[in-house]
Amino acid sequence: MDLTYTEDQQMLRDTVRRLLAERHDFPTRQAAVTSGDGRAPGLWATFAEQGWLALPFSEENGGFGSDEVDLSILMEEMGRALVVEPYFGAVVLAGGLVERLGNPAQRAALLEPLIEGRHLLAFADVAEAGAEVSATKSEGGFTLSGRKQLVLGGAAADVFLVSASMPGGGMGIFAVPRGTEGLKASAYMLADGSRAARLELDGLSVAQSDLLGANEDAMTTIDAVRDRAVACLCSDAVGAMEAALDATVAYTSERQQFGRPLSEFQALRHRMAEMAVKCQEARASALLATVSINAEPSARIRGVSGAKAKIGRNARSVAQEAIQLHGAMGFTEEMATGAWFKRLFVFEQLMGTTAQHLARYGAEITRPEVLSQSLLQAPAEG
Amino acid sequence: MDLTLTPAEAAFRTEIRQFLDSELTADVRRASRLNTSFLAEPEIGLAWQSKVNQRGWVAPSWPEEFGGPGWSLAQRYIFDQECEMADEPHFRGASIKMIAPVLMRYGTPEQQDHYLPRILSGEHFWSQGYSEPGSGSDLASLKCKAVREGDEYVINGSKIWSTLAHRSTHMFALVRTNSEGRKQQGITFILIDLSLPGIEIAPITSICGTHEFNQVFFDNVRVPVAERIGEEGQGWEIAKYLLEFERGGSFAGGLLRAMHCRLLRIASRPATDGTRPIDDPLIAARFAEIATDIDANDMLELSSMSKVQSGGNPGPVPSSTMKIERSRIRQSITELTVTVLGPAALEWEPQRPLYDLPETSEAEEDIRAAAAIYFNTRSQSIFGGTNEIQLEIIARALFS
Ligand SMILES: Cc1cc2nc3c(=O)[nH]c(=O)nc-3n(C[C@H](O)[C@H](O)[C@H](O)COP(=O)(O)OP(=O)(O)OC[C@H]3O[C@@H](n4cnc5c(N)ncnc54)[C@H](O)[C@@H]3O)c2cc1C
Repeated sequence: MDLTYTEDQQMLRDTVRRLLAERHDFPTRQAAVTSGDGRAPGLWATFAEQGWLALPFSEENGGFGSDEVDLSILMEEMGRALVVEPYFGAVVLAGGLVERLGNPAQRAALLEPLIEGRHLLAFADVAEAGAEVSATKSEGGFTLSGRKQLVLGGAAADVFLVSASMPGGGMGIFAVPRGTEGLKASAYMLADGSRAARLELDGLSVAQSDLLGANEDAMTTIDAVRDRAVACLCSDAVGAMEAALDATVAYTSERQQFGRPLSEFQALRHRMAEMAVKCQEARASALLATVSINAEPSARIRGVSGAKAKIGRNARSVAQEAIQLHGAMGFTEEMATGAWFKRLFVFEQLMGTTAQHLARYGAEITRPEVLSQSLLQAPAEG
Repeated sequence: MDLTLTPAEAAFRTEIRQFLDSELTADVRRASRLNTSFLAEPEIGLAWQSKVNQRGWVAPSWPEEFGGPGWSLAQRYIFDQECEMADEPHFRGASIKMIAPVLMRYGTPEQQDHYLPRILSGEHFWSQGYSEPGSGSDLASLKCKAVREGDEYVINGSKIWSTLAHRSTHMFALVRTNSEGRKQQGITFILIDLSLPGIEIAPITSICGTHEFNQVFFDNVRVPVAERIGEEGQGWEIAKYLLEFERGGSFAGGLLRAMHCRLLRIASRPATDGTRPIDDPLIAARFAEIATDIDANDMLELSSMSKVQSGGNPGPVPSSTMKIERSRIRQSITELTVTVLGPAALEWEPQRPLYDLPETSEAEEDIRAAAAIYFNTRSQSIFGGTNEIQLEIIARALFS
């Protein structure tokens, strides 16, 4: 067991934090969010240069073969710096899916340009009530019809990975380039300023070769990729929570009322101390999620869904406190406080809500053999 | 003691319902539902105000001599409940609920005769100039300066967070006329015509995406001494009187109940798989808890208002309690609403006001407004004196 960052990991964190602070300060970020496409000019190219787009992929697929902890570090800093570039949707979620599900040709075609920053992917997810796509068999391939409501990073995506229920049952994923006949993608803004898209597929034709992998049911892989993505979101949220706490501590140390800094009032000090408690818990939960990503499903669900539920609860409280302790300033768009608050609101709703993850975790943890199990795992046999 | 309506009161309720049914048009109700701020957009609010004014009902809590309808407490309560349940635009803000009671108590007959009728008609629309960049919770530290020159005060400085100042004709403000002695002593209460030269109003956008408040700059603005309320240096006493009205001097129970009813409507809509959020035991429990909060707050309002029938002052501890509880309840309702809606509430519509957008179904419009309303209600525990400051007032009373 080892739960400390390596020197390389500390360096990664410092580099990312410094670079984002330089290249993506709050005014720059606000300008990007309110601009037409919601992107910060040139930032994605920097991500590519820094190798961040390659970070989560194996060397075989042109990546760095970094581990999950590296990715969590990167995600945490993105949350702290309020990055709205489609890193999560394109690289973590869609890229992760292609890496695990695609055949060698598909991986080469989709991942290489992603890693080089030349094109973007987005995953049109499975788990959306009322937004389903179904595939029917047609000559030489399939026909897709239906819609998707919340495609993260879909506004700028060049290729959509569309999940569809297959004629013989099970779930398939098709790579559908933007501009394909029968595909309508409309971009919109989420409450935190990031961009998503909704898709309408109207009898769209795809070839058998557009189906990721072979003809197997992709659901197990999708679940695993989604869990990994949820763990990443948890790290993102921890970054946003800690930043909101840091900003609140800094603000109340500066802001004078009644002849002294607000930070000298014990009632407020304890409120911020409580925020710190919640941030600490959240950090621990996110770490558990991160190191559970590759565990067998039961341990993975326990680690990941437990963290999403726990952090969801804590994040809401920390975000609301940050606004309150900033007073009216926290209620303005010109302070980052509101932006962290909104990002954490969005966090709670994405990839399964706080309540849904709590239920999923609850179903797992009420099995005595799971509940009684220590977090430390026995070594793999053989 | 009992809560029963008399037959006359029940008949009164019918009369109010009939009025609201016929006058509160569907588009005005829609504008209320799509309002992402605390107060209605002035064009909606003022148009509605003039309709209510024709019936003489605009200022239910005002005494008859000043143009109030002369209602009993029960009638006022019924009226408020009915208006809120019918989605009346929320327009009784700084004009009717704040500056008017101050004018009645501290104003000269000339000031009363001039201003009160114009408040009723909506010709004058007021904003509140208390806070300054350096003076929020510690309001008495304010610096905006008024120097007397003959029959005028010359005002220099700035006010911040002034809600709807950009749409107002007037502002009532606290200004510093003396820097010696205790800081509370040198404060004077003054009425400022916002069309005077030297006033500049800069917008501030809030996290719910609306321009509702402003910073207001005063550069050698000359205000006649006749626009002063009370004596020079009496401003702090007057300010505290007004704040008790702002915090608790009226009923909020109707609005909270109306919001809760709306949440129930949203939570009762079946999802595509047929399940209804309200059938989820966790949501049902949270929903019921909020209802108990509303009932308790409502009773507190009724009983403390009973003590101060007709235009009186509710007193600091009940006022502060109501201010705290109202803000918490509103926040819980809007929070549970977005929880119920889940990812559907994530799409952000930057256009304001929302009612300018093409009409869609009520369900879709509820979804469209939900996140912005949730964000907006975070301000409830900040404005009008933060919840921390309310707790301080209560604590001081406990230990005095
Ligand atoms: C939407 C909105 C509308 C408003 N409209 C108006 C208006 O029309 N006119 C107007 O004059 N003002 C208005 N205000 C301003 C409002 O009255 C102030 O925001 C409020 O008084 C708090 O002041 P502040 O924002 O400077 O916070 P600060 O005083 O800086 O307080 C920051 C935080 O510290 C806490 N705090 C401060 N002192 C203490 C203490 N001694 N002990 C414990 N905690 C403490 C506060 O509770 C708060 O949580 C509005 C504010 C908002 C958000």
